[in-house]
Amino acid sequence: MPKKYLKIIIFFTTACVFSSVSTTYARTNEVVVYVSEDQVFSEPILKDFEKETGVKVKALYDTEEAKSTGVMNRLLAEKNNPQGDVYWANEPIRAVVLKQKGISAAYFSPNAKDIPSPFKDPEGYWTGFSARVRVFVANQERAAFTSICDYTDEKWENKAVMANPLFGTTTSWVAALFTVWGDEKAKAFMSLLKQNGVKISTSNGESTTLVVNKQFLFALVDSDDATNAVRSGKGVQQIYPDQEEGGLGSLILPNAAILIKGGKNPENAQRLIDYLLSPETERKLAFADCAQIPLHPGVQTPPDVKKIEKIRSMKVDYEAVAKKLQEIQSYLKGWVGH
Amino acid sequence: MAKRATLLLIAFIFILVSFLPVLTLLIKSLFPHGNFFIGNYVVLFQSSRTWILLWNSLSFAVVTTVLALFLGVPMGILFSKTNLPFKGLFTLLFTIPFIVPSYMIAVGWFYALVPQGFLARILGTQVSEIMLHSFFGFRGAVLVMTSVLLPVVVILTMTYLGLVDPRLEEAARLSSGWILTLRKISLPIISPGVFLAGLLVFTLTLGEFGVPSFLRYSVFPVEAFTQFSAFYNFDAAIGAAVPLGIITLFIVIIERFFLRKKNFELMETIGKEARIPIELNQWKPWILILVIIFALVLVIVPLAGLIIKSSSLATFQKTFKNSMDSIFRSLMYASIGATLLTFFGFFIGYLLERKVFRFAWAIDSVTFFLFALPGTVIGIGLIGMWNHPTTNFIYSSAAVIILGYAAQYAALGERMMAATYAQIPYSMEEVAQITGVGWFRRLSGIVAPMANRGLITTWLVGFLFCLKDVGVTMMIYPPGHDTLPVRIFTLMANSPEETIATLCLLMLGIAFLPLGALGIIFKKSRFKSSC
Repeated sequence: MPKKYLKIIIFFTTACVFSSVSTTYARTNEVVVYVSEDQVFSEPILKDFEKETGVKVKALYDTEEAKSTGVMNRLLAEKNNPQGDVYWANEPIRAVVLKQKGISAAYFSPNAKDIPSPFKDPEGYWTGFSARVRVFVANQERAAFTSICDYTDEKWENKAVMANPLFGTTTSWVAALFTVWGDEKAKAFMSLLKQNGVKISTSNGESTTLVVNKQFLFALVDSDDATNAVRSGKGVQQIYPDQEEGGLGSLILPNAAILIKGGKNPENAQRLIDYLLSPETERKLAFADCAQIPLHPGVQTPPDVKKIEKIRSMKVDYEAVAKKLQEIQSYLKGWVGH
Repeated sequence: MAKRATLLLIAFIFILVSFLPVLTLLIKSLFPHGNFFIGNYVVLFQSSRTWILLWNSLSFAVVTTVLALFLGVPMGILFSKTNLPFKGLFTLLFTIPFIVPSYMIAVGWFYALVPQGFLARILGTQVSEIMLHSFFGFRGAVLVMTSVLLPVVVILTMTYLGLVDPRLEEAARLSSGWILTLRKISLPIISPGVFLAGLLVFTLTLGEFGVPSFLRYSVFPVEAFTQFSAFYNFDAAIGAAVPLGIITLFIVIIERFFLRKKNFELMETIGKEARIPIELNQWKPWILILVIIFALVLVIVPLAGLIIKSSSLATFQKTFKNSMDSIFRSLMYASIGATLLTFFGFFIGYLLERKVFRFAWAIDSVTFFLFALPGTVIGIGLIGMWNHPTTNFIYSSAAVIILGYAAQYAALGERMMAATYAQIPYSMEEVAQITGVGWFRRLSGIVAPMANRGLITTWLVGFLFCLKDVGVTMMIYPPGHDTLPVRIFTLMANSPEETIATLCLLMLGIAFLPLGALGIIFKKSRFKSSC
């Protein structure tokens, strides 16, 4: 047999051996985590966990194209053949959906005890940490926007933008409005959005860019998008809407740590959840570019990250929001014209 | 007996691991609740969105194909038949976009056009803003895919022109100029090659996921991915695949009944004689400038966009360190994938070329059908097939990715090996057979050594395609098994632009490995033949 073939076979065999050896090694002490939080922010945290505990982390990250629901849907598809141990959701609504579908398991982390009760499931199926807030990113020269109702003000006709309500945190925000206002008022609001020419973008990131580029005056986005735009000196400001006394408040969307039922590494999964829920992780996420707001009291934050107790939050029941989110899917598809 | 049994077994294994997942997917969609029901399809074809997506997908593929042919055929002629200077360099330059994941070219353009980008500084913010605005959508997607797939047309044109008997051209040259000779002799002879190039460009554009996804242009492969990943709507995801499946079937039919016969006609006219180059004379500087402009627009601008963004050495070191696992996995999975593709190619190519069974054409059609199908659809099929506790050893390991590669790219291995076997006279095997040599010994003693170069080329081309794959891998990669193209894709949301640009350049670096190896092989063999 020619030497060249022999070389190829040796390379192939070596590659296979490498693969199986590394897999076998990893299986002895690993945890499998599905992550909806952006990889650029979540990966360093998971690497730190690896370094500190020696537990190998095998992660599956979401993409922008899957609208942050791709890995959750993988979890749903794998219900009878679970691969993951932990799900790091970037907002609690998906966590509630997993609880409703019987994918998650209860776990009360000792690190969850200082986290305010609105941000954790009383039955332990999910626990929130490091939150984002739905805020306005607005042109610096026009500071008149104080409420989400500005979207429907004729003064701002064709001058506002928001992300597609079929995806991501915008869906959660719309569903939250339905639970707080009731169907009738929420639907009327959605109709007014259309009438007032609110432009629909593909993502919060795009909405921010459109405001930064002065194509629109304001957009409701996630606080990490707004903080980043402000930090990079792009002539925009961040506004927390509806903060007046008795006002609606801003929707707060914490990350959520979830234990997966039937995962193969339950002990390591609990260690990882404890790590994610620690004040130190919240501190790191506050100082990272995602600028997330810690839920533990007393966690150090940069000056431009508002403390959770200083924000008037929208009073929502995340379980009800998750239920509503599924109910209004077809309404939203019709609204968008999908 | 051994020959037929072995080939039958390998064909059966291939169908089982590659085609069955897609077939099962289709059958499942026809029996949604255990009973035959086509209501979903009726709804699908009544939906205006389906027709919009169909229009988008077809116009995207058609316009890209026309542009790639319009530019690629003249370039192929220039690089193979004329005395244009730096032909080799240009060929290499235009090949670069093809060897990397296509969305990287889109990323490069984006970084060049953003307000801080170098093109924005050169052209001014207003112009670059207008260009950026037009870039997202149909126009940008066509531009990127044209530069990515242009080398397919250029290289195939060059290859087929190399197969034209020079005596025919020389005879024509006695009474007419080069333009008429090309128009009346060379181009008609290579028309099946040009048609094949067009078909490949059309097929690859139709199944493309990365570029339209990045540029927010709605086409079927993106729809299938979104319906499955974002909505978890299996039926809608399959629905998005069906129109593509129908178009793909048409392509298979066209390819089978029109193109293949013509290819073989051309193969008989191989000439080995030295060729006289076309003298460009006074046109040389103008044509050179034109080619440089195309190189600038199609290759240099997006590459410069990436290089300028990733100019910090510290970022490079950090990114490389953080991505080492993904790079290693990319190389390993591409190696294993390429080996499997070569293995299937070795046997199925033999089956096809030597026509061992009557149904050889059917297996060939299946491989081409899978090649034309978007990777996202193959991925959904593989999830449906292997996501069970009993088959978890495949689903939870790199094996599922490798099977995805085998399904998507088997046509490459099979076709390349079939072309290799076509150059090996069957009489040599027959002589050995008469003297009582068994099939396995004939295969290892005669066929394999003579197909040496074809085998290595197949492996390297397979390696390249597996290495840059996004569509299949993105759908099915198990936790902790991300490859570099997938890592770039998942990191793109909110990552610093420097990091993404650096990762893209790393990808370019490792994609050069097979290209360099191919270059060395062909250089060596050319040297040997000249000796």
